[in-house]
Amino acid sequence: MNTNHILSAFDRDLEGVQAKVMRMGGMVEQALRDSITALLSHDIEMAARVRQDDRAIDELDEAVKSDCARILALRAPTAVDLRVVLSVIEISSNLERCGDYAKNIAKRTPSVGVQHDIMETGTALRRMAEFVQAMLSDALDSYIHQDEDKALDVIQRDVEADQMYNTLFRSLLTHMMEDPRSIATAMHLHFIAKNIERVGDHATGICEQAIYVLTGEMPQEPRPKQDSTTRM
Amino acid sequence: MYDTTSEKDVDQKTIKFSARKVQVFYGDTHAIKDVDVDIEDKTVTAFIGPSGCGKSTFLRCLNRMNDTIDICRIEGDIRLDGEDIYDRRVDPVQLRAKVGMVFQKPNPFPKSIYDNVAYGPRIHGLARSKADLDQIVERALRRGALWDEVKDRLHAPGTGLSGGQQQRLCIARAVATEPEVLLMDEPCSALDPIATAQVEELIAELRRDYSVVIVTHSMQQAARVSQKTAFFHLGNLVEFGETGNIFTNPEDKRTESYITGRIG
Repeated sequence: MNTNHILSAFDRDLEGVQAKVMRMGGMVEQALRDSITALLSHDIEMAARVRQDDRAIDELDEAVKSDCARILALRAPTAVDLRVVLSVIEISSNLERCGDYAKNIAKRTPSVGVQHDIMETGTALRRMAEFVQAMLSDALDSYIHQDEDKALDVIQRDVEADQMYNTLFRSLLTHMMEDPRSIATAMHLHFIAKNIERVGDHATGICEQAIYVLTGEMPQEPRPKQDSTTRM
Repeated sequence: MYDTTSEKDVDQKTIKFSARKVQVFYGDTHAIKDVDVDIEDKTVTAFIGPSGCGKSTFLRCLNRMNDTIDICRIEGDIRLDGEDIYDRRVDPVQLRAKVGMVFQKPNPFPKSIYDNVAYGPRIHGLARSKADLDQIVERALRRGALWDEVKDRLHAPGTGLSGGQQQRLCIARAVATEPEVLLMDEPCSALDPIATAQVEELIAELRRDYSVVIVTHSMQQAARVSQKTAFFHLGNLVEFGETGNIFTNPEDKRTESYITGRIG
């Protein structure tokens, strides 16, 4: 739907709220990047900044929701317009959660010591974080460019993110069994890995919204699930 | 008291009107092109579309109101309960008693409220006595959600009522002959929001007993009152489906452009 509304203010409203969500996406990507960098370089100040900046993401989420409520009340959107508004509400929630995960990683940073044998998992953690960040950024891209193929591709990639998490889980478990003194750090690192894995799920959620806006239906295939840690 | 039938429950309904390959010409103008549609009983069907798309023309085919226009020619097949309404043996006056109509502007007769409603039953010989007729008038006015407001002044002129009351009087007049189908051509476009809400509430109630077909320019009204929506464009029936689907995920780009208020 590329043609404009007869009432141009309606177009401005929809574009405005979508722009806000995209700005939020940029802030969340930054927060995730910084939280991982702070963790791996044990930069407490940077971690504190991530925690502080999360407030701005939360405020943007509230602003998006109230803009959407206003559009629903004043413009009574239908069809693709309605789907855009609904998707924006959903994506805003997805991003807000991702922001919380970054904040949680930052919160744990001071407690994660620089224990060398365990920080080997740091490399794996960084790789996973980069992988998931790329998923998130492609998810937002697929939404704004209405690219169904890209959205489906990101959904498929979530399998790999889940597998990365499984591997990390196993290796952290091994560390804890071998050396009980590593338990505290390993537990923190495990929660961090889980947080990163969850960001992948939210990226998938954003892609589902991209497909919903385009087709009016949620993707048919069940979301691939590869988290096998519940059986370990 | 009210049935809470949701818009999802429209399937499994009996077909009231069945139209096949309907063409309407005004002189050389081809106003309706090849329209096929089934209108269900106990369902509100909304016709939407831009001005001049043929929705009112098609509505008027359903009770042969177009017969009164000399240059109008209708082809195709329209059946009410399986019977061809354009058959030579069908009396249009009898047909219109079965298929009532309410117009855009309230048009009460310059008579009393009572006589407005009693007119149809009288000419169709539906009442055997004065008491009988009184009962028919009361029932129709109750159905029109007007009884409580006018029961003390039944012999006051109908034209003295407010716009919204006049429209409800016209609906009461239309239901007095016990029709099976009620056609409404923009029944609320001359009414304020409160009167509109009252008429819409009335439509929802009438649906329990009748098949209602409403032409409206208000998307929101179509969305609020109907279970089925038909979108007309340039004389074609572009899309016909469950109202919830039409307003969230229409199949045709033209429908989408129209209901979302885009140029196209």
